[in-house]
Amino acid sequence: MTAAQSLLAVLITPLLSAALIAFFCRRLGTVASTISVLAAAGIFVFSLIAIRGAAGEDVSISWTWLRLGDFEVSMGFLFNGVSATMLTMVGFVGFLIHVFSLGYMAEDNARARFFGGLSIFMFSMLGIVLADNLIMIFVFWELVGFSSYMLIGHYLNTEEAAAASKKAFIVNRVGDFGFLIGIVYAYWHFGTTNLSEMHGIVAGNRELISACIAALLMCGFIGKSAQFPLHVWLPDAMAGPTPVSALIHAATMVAAGVYFLIRIQFLFPSEVLTFIAWLGTTVAVYAGFCAYGQNDIKKILAYSTLSQLGYMSAAFGLGFPGVALFHLITHAFFKALLFLAAGSVIHGCHHEQDIFKMGGLLKKMPITAITFLLGTLALCGVYGLAGFYSKDAILIAAGLQHSPIFILLTLGAFLTAGYMGRLFWIAFLGQPKSEAASHAKESPLTMLVPLIVLAVLSVAGGWIGFWPEQLGGLIRDNLEHLHHLPDYDTMHHRVLILGSAAWVLGLVLSLFFYRAGAKEDRLEQQAAPVYHFLKSRLWFDEIYGFYVAKIQQRFALFLSFIDVFIVKGIFVRGSAGIVGLVGMCSRSLHDGNIHSYVYWFLAGLVLLWAVASGLL
Amino acid sequence: MNKLLIEFLSGYTATNQWAAILPEIMMGVLALCLLAAEMVLPKNRQAWVPRLAIWGQVLILMIAFGFVGRCSIGEFQYFSGLITQTDVTQIMRGFFLVSSIAVCYLGHIYLSKQTLPQTEFYALVLIISAGMMLLVQSTHFVMLFVALETVTVAFYVLVAYSRTSQFSLEAGLKYLILGALSSGILLFGIVLLYGIAGNPELLGASRDSLNYGELMNFVILNMNNMIVKIGALLVIAGVCFKIGAVPFQIWVPDVYQGAPTPVTAYLAVASKAAGFIVLIELVRGPFFGLQDFLVPVLSVIAAATILFGNIAAVAQRNVKRLMGLSGIAHAGYLLLGVIAVMRGVDWAVYAVIFYLVTYLLASFAVFGVMSIAAGEEDANQELDHYESFARKRPFLGGVLACGLGSLAGIPPLGGFIGKLFLFVAAFQAELYGLLIIAIVGVVISIYYYFGWIRECYFSSSSTAVVKDISCGATSSDRFLLGALTVASIVIGILPAALPIIR
Repeated sequence: MTAAQSLLAVLITPLLSAALIAFFCRRLGTVASTISVLAAAGIFVFSLIAIRGAAGEDVSISWTWLRLGDFEVSMGFLFNGVSATMLTMVGFVGFLIHVFSLGYMAEDNARARFFGGLSIFMFSMLGIVLADNLIMIFVFWELVGFSSYMLIGHYLNTEEAAAASKKAFIVNRVGDFGFLIGIVYAYWHFGTTNLSEMHGIVAGNRELISACIAALLMCGFIGKSAQFPLHVWLPDAMAGPTPVSALIHAATMVAAGVYFLIRIQFLFPSEVLTFIAWLGTTVAVYAGFCAYGQNDIKKILAYSTLSQLGYMSAAFGLGFPGVALFHLITHAFFKALLFLAAGSVIHGCHHEQDIFKMGGLLKKMPITAITFLLGTLALCGVYGLAGFYSKDAILIAAGLQHSPIFILLTLGAFLTAGYMGRLFWIAFLGQPKSEAASHAKESPLTMLVPLIVLAVLSVAGGWIGFWPEQLGGLIRDNLEHLHHLPDYDTMHHRVLILGSAAWVLGLVLSLFFYRAGAKEDRLEQQAAPVYHFLKSRLWFDEIYGFYVAKIQQRFALFLSFIDVFIVKGIFVRGSAGIVGLVGMCSRSLHDGNIHSYVYWFLAGLVLLWAVASGLL
Repeated sequence: MNKLLIEFLSGYTATNQWAAILPEIMMGVLALCLLAAEMVLPKNRQAWVPRLAIWGQVLILMIAFGFVGRCSIGEFQYFSGLITQTDVTQIMRGFFLVSSIAVCYLGHIYLSKQTLPQTEFYALVLIISAGMMLLVQSTHFVMLFVALETVTVAFYVLVAYSRTSQFSLEAGLKYLILGALSSGILLFGIVLLYGIAGNPELLGASRDSLNYGELMNFVILNMNNMIVKIGALLVIAGVCFKIGAVPFQIWVPDVYQGAPTPVTAYLAVASKAAGFIVLIELVRGPFFGLQDFLVPVLSVIAAATILFGNIAAVAQRNVKRLMGLSGIAHAGYLLLGVIAVMRGVDWAVYAVIFYLVTYLLASFAVFGVMSIAAGEEDANQELDHYESFARKRPFLGGVLACGLGSLAGIPPLGGFIGKLFLFVAAFQAELYGLLIIAIVGVVISIYYYFGWIRECYFSSSSTAVVKDISCGATSSDRFLLGALTVASIVIGILPAALPIIR
């Protein structure tokens, strides 16, 4: 198999699985889940074959999709080091999450729909990873949006899931609108949307880089990666099944926004990069604060995801796309682990999600608890674990270039350790605080194996020296570059000290403040205004709600008035009337009388001659 | 003397390569075999006739394709310039074979509900198919006329095939009279051209003035001659009758309604396609020199055809008339492609063929559903019969919706790409006014196509008495209709799957 064939196989496998499930196994949950898991395994295997086949070279293939005279639309793959890294991560983590879902969704009635959705999601996500032009990326971008909508709304009959899926879809549309305009503008500006060709054009003439195009394309990233001000959909999206949260809303889809930025980083001028760095930093700190106001285990993790996405975009904005990719990969490992462990907890506690109703889970579910702890430590950036290496690199990059961002990101690291400590101490230590928690049992093996594998990766995933040669080229280059900057050594020591202090302080202070296995939130008791302020998340949802209900709704009513009375009443009815009238006239022409037909025919001939000779 | 004559004749027959028209000959032989088979087969084995017809054609299709694969694509003249084979005629061979296979299948569905003789139907369908293949290959007016009459006479019989139905008989009579009139006009035009081009006093006169090539040279030298213009106009009028363009569309609704549904489909798809290819060959061949004269004429015809077809279809309730009138509109869009060819956009030929292919797939899907849904008398199917059709027959409803959607040009169905190609060709040919009219036409067409879909899917069946429309689809019906629908979708998503546009 050549690299091109195996890449095609990577893309076709999940599509085939989705089609099989949709057409033949809608009521056969077990068969559907087997097909989907096998497809996920197939993706991973084919990815490895593709990487071997490519042997470190860039593979770029394209097919002409449409050709009209001299206008051509092509579809194709651009498979380089970055996409190989991303493909391996998506394939592997995706496979583990599929396996986990086998156990987690075993009792669900609509399993076939769920696994079909996972397959269609994998198809769309891999499409984004491999696509070589903006139009194709956009098509798959919308497809992940659709599959995310479908999977968030999996529990159809709960109000919350329906509202959340709608919200995620609509908020993403806002970002995609900018993205779409950006694509059109880019096509107009460069005459192509192919990534390699645009790179060539921009490399030839730096003047052609347009801040406007970059800013418009960035809108797509803001929507998909849930950055400020479109971050509101991500916490709500936790209404979906937990494996979905792990796969889509932590490891892959939300990171696709960052991945997209890395793919098109050559299009970004420095002012847009600075903007992205500040945007990311703001989100990193803001989301860190918000997490303190949440009691739902998944929502805390969702805010943590937001905050880590902020770190990634800060790294990208500071001019280190490789570092952003590094954090993306390590984050995928430990955040998928945290979500899956949370899923295991939720499964064990009969769908209890409030951390203040858990407690004592360390004894009841030891493997889940230990893997969760490892994930937490990796997230906090404990020395030697995966998160340490990537976060460290981001902090060093910030420290060397931009002190205010450095200070804020370090604060963010402290906040991370704090809310993760709060979550762990309260949920896993102490005594069970509810009926459900006291009957919690360790989850079955299909769920524990993915947890253990991910835990190993959360520990070892950051040891970039041990990565296979073909993966992470850009990461190594960027790190190398970072190491050779002036003042690297001093900054490295400072970050080591400050970073370690941040997590130690965060974990310890949260233990002393909240107490292990606490029944109530001490922050709420002791400083209620602060707690409620954090819980309100700066009132973004309320502001958007007000805007939609009071301003947009009124405008819509006004438009609907115009629509009903003027457009429908006069234009549509009127023109339909005219068309109908003409139609009736022309129908009376066809009166069925053969004599008149013959005369019409001859009259037509005369008419034609009149036109031809210029009389008419 | 004898030797001289033999030499003279062998000079003529040197290019008589019968193998070049093997598929056409095989179609004729198959048609005769069917008639023989009817006599030989016992009464209870008569069901073999349609099978023989369909599988025989599938075999011919495979042979014809093997044929194409062997010879290099280019332009070859045979029979002293009577026929010329190009890549276009090869594609059209496949096109006509596929459509006659589909018509045979629909005919099988139709005839199973009637007490009519069977074999002649298939034999005539095959003859027509062979005739149309020759029609598009002909580069000589005698060949053109003979092939055209072969097709037309067979169609007279097929339109009136349902002898027991008064609609069918009436349609047959109308088609006969108007068809004869149009043939007469066409022939008159040919004769004028022959006469004037054979006049030795004029520059470029030829002794073989019915040959396209000779005529083309003559017309370029005499483009302002009045008789040349009249002759060309009459020929174009005769062809416009076949494609149902305004002002020669007058027969379309009545004949489409009265003819048995499979015959309607055949008329709408294959006959129209043959007319368009002939028209393109005429404007690229003998009438090449008359562009300045013909472009305005065809533009007016195209605009009138698009508007008339769409507007007249809006008020229509009878589905067969609806298909007929909307078919007129499709002829108008296709004329855009023909005009683009005249204006020098050469690839518009392939855009026309692409559109014809998407039109074939979508039309046969719709006509197939209509054949299955029809009762014994299929001339008076109204839109009301399709009330909540999709709820009763989900599969057929889906096929119908896809077919109508493709005809209306909704992405991601094939019809959308077909229209896109034609419109881009028209844009490159700078036909902006026509383009606007065509887009208005498409908008109107969405109204009535979706009216039908709405009838199928969203009509409130509050009236408890829902007329049950005949029997459901068998598995082979499902296979054929499903294949047509899937092909429509695949072409819409991957236009390159149809290697026509080059």
